Amino acid sequence: MQTFRGYQRADGSVGIRNLLLIIAADECAEGIARAVADKTPNSVVVTNYNTCMYGGNEEMIATMINAAINPNVAGALVLNMGCGSIAPDLVAGPIRASGRPVETLTCIKQSGTVATIKEGLARAQKLVAHANAVEMVDAPLSKLVVGIKCGGSDTSSGMASNPSVGLAADKLIDKGATAIAGELLELMGCEHILEKRAVSPQVHEKIVQLISDEEKRWHVEGAQVETMSVGNSIGGLTTIEEKSLGALAKTGTRPIQDILRINAKTIEKPTVPGMYLSETTMLCGGSAMHFAALGCQVILWTTGGAGFNNPIVPVIRVSGNSQLINEDIDVDATGIMRGEDSIEEVSEKVLETLHRVINGEKTAIEDFGYAYCSLIQKDQRVERLLGIPTE
Amino acid sequence: MGKALRLDGADNVATVLADVAKGERVQIISDQNEIIAEIEALQAIPFGNKIALAPLHPGDHLIKGGAAVGKAIKPVPLGQLAHVQNIRSLNLDIPETMIREIITQMNIEED
Repeated sequence: MQTFRGYQRADGSVGIRNLLLIIAADECAEGIARAVADKTPNSVVVTNYNTCMYGGNEEMIATMINAAINPNVAGALVLNMGCGSIAPDLVAGPIRASGRPVETLTCIKQSGTVATIKEGLARAQKLVAHANAVEMVDAPLSKLVVGIKCGGSDTSSGMASNPSVGLAADKLIDKGATAIAGELLELMGCEHILEKRAVSPQVHEKIVQLISDEEKRWHVEGAQVETMSVGNSIGGLTTIEEKSLGALAKTGTRPIQDILRINAKTIEKPTVPGMYLSETTMLCGGSAMHFAALGCQVILWTTGGAGFNNPIVPVIRVSGNSQLINEDIDVDATGIMRGEDSIEEVSEKVLETLHRVINGEKTAIEDFGYAYCSLIQKDQRVERLLGIPTE
Repeated sequence: MGKALRLDGADNVATVLADVAKGERVQIISDQNEIIAEIEALQAIPFGNKIALAPLHPGDHLIKGGAAVGKAIKPVPLGQLAHVQNIRSLNLDIPETMIREIITQMNIEED
C-alpha cells in the first residue's frame, strides 16, 4: 500500500469519494436542501441547525465551510432563506477559493420554496456534471489523512480494537501518511506520556492547555460528568489513567506533530505528515464533521459493536466484542479476545480494509444509513464564563 | 485453562480473556500471540480484569500497555487480581464509596 487512486482537487488534495455538498446555511433552507439532495446522486446535506445569525455561530459556519473543502467533496450548493445574516457568499467564498465549483441560491430572491428547489436541482446537475469530469490519479500516501476515534467503547476496546488501530496508525505514519485523533477529555492523566511524544515543548504545552480547557468545559462544579463509572471498573478498569491509556492506545506510539485547534477563529490543518491530536469532540456525530473539516478522507473507528457512519468521510468500524459484533463492523478483532489472533495480525487486517476503502470499495454500511451531520460548536459566552482564553 | 493478554513487554499485569476461577492455571500470551508464561490465579478474576505477573510491593507502579497506570497500596502477590482493592490512581482516585461498591458488586476476595 504505497498509493491510492482518488479524485484530484484543484487545491492539490486527493479525495477517495466524489461528493456534492448541499449546504443549508440557515435552518430555514433545510427542507429545500433535502428536496434537492433526494434527486441528486452522491449528495450530502449539511444544515446549520442553530439560527440564521452569524454572530455566535462562527465556529459552526467554519466547520461547514471546511467540510465542503474536504478532499472527498467535488463542489457545493449553498442555500439560504435570506432573511438572516449568513450571506451565502460568506459560506461559498472560501469554498470557491479552494478551486471547487460553488452555486448559491437565496429563497426569498427566487419566487419561493418550489422555485428554489427547481432551480437548485438545475444547479446541482451542473455541479454533478463537473464532479463527473474530475480526473482520477494515483496519489502517494502523503495525501492521505485518517481520523481515529472510538465510540461505544467496552472492555474489548482497550485490549483489541484500540491497540490494533494504534499499531495500524504507526504503520501508516511510517509510510508517510497523516492521522488525527481527538477526544481530549479522555486523555486526562496521559499528559506525561504525551510529553514524551510531542515533537517540542511548545506542542506539549499546547496539548496540556487544550486538555485543561476541555476539562473546564465538562467538569463544572455541581454539574460533573462521569469520567469513571462502576460499570467501567467491573469491566476491568482500575484507574482513570488505565482508561485514558486504553483510549490513547488507538493513536499508536509515533511522535505527535501538533494539536490542531478547532474554534471560532481557526480550524488548524496538518502541515507535515505524521500523527496529530486535535480538538475533535468525543461526541461521535460531531466528531466526524470535525474530521471532515480537518481534511480527513477516512475514519478508523473502534467500538464494542455500534454502527457509526458519516456520509462525507467513510468510517471503518473495528470491534473486538464477540457478543456485539454484527454485519456493520468492517474489521473483526474478536480473535484477539479469544487469544487466537495477535494485535499485529489484526493491525494488518485494518490496513487491508483501509487500502480497499481508500481505493473506492464501500464500507460495510456505506450508502445504507448515516449519523446526522452534527455541527458541534462551543458557546462563546460559556467559554468566557469559564475563563477559557479566546485568542 | 484460562488465557490472559500481556499488551507490552514491560507490563507487570495481563488481562484475562474469560472469567478465571480461583486456583485455575492461566496461560499468559504476548501481543505477538506467543505463550510467555503459565501462572495460577490466587483468586477468581472476572473477564477483562488484570492478573499480577510479578509480585508488587506497596508503592510499586502497575504497568499496563507499557505505561504506569496506578500504584500498589498493598502487597500484590503473583497471580492475584490487581484492581481497586489493592491499586490506586497516580493522579485522581475514584471515591472510596464507589470502590466499596465495586468490591461488593464484583465479590472481590480481600485478604
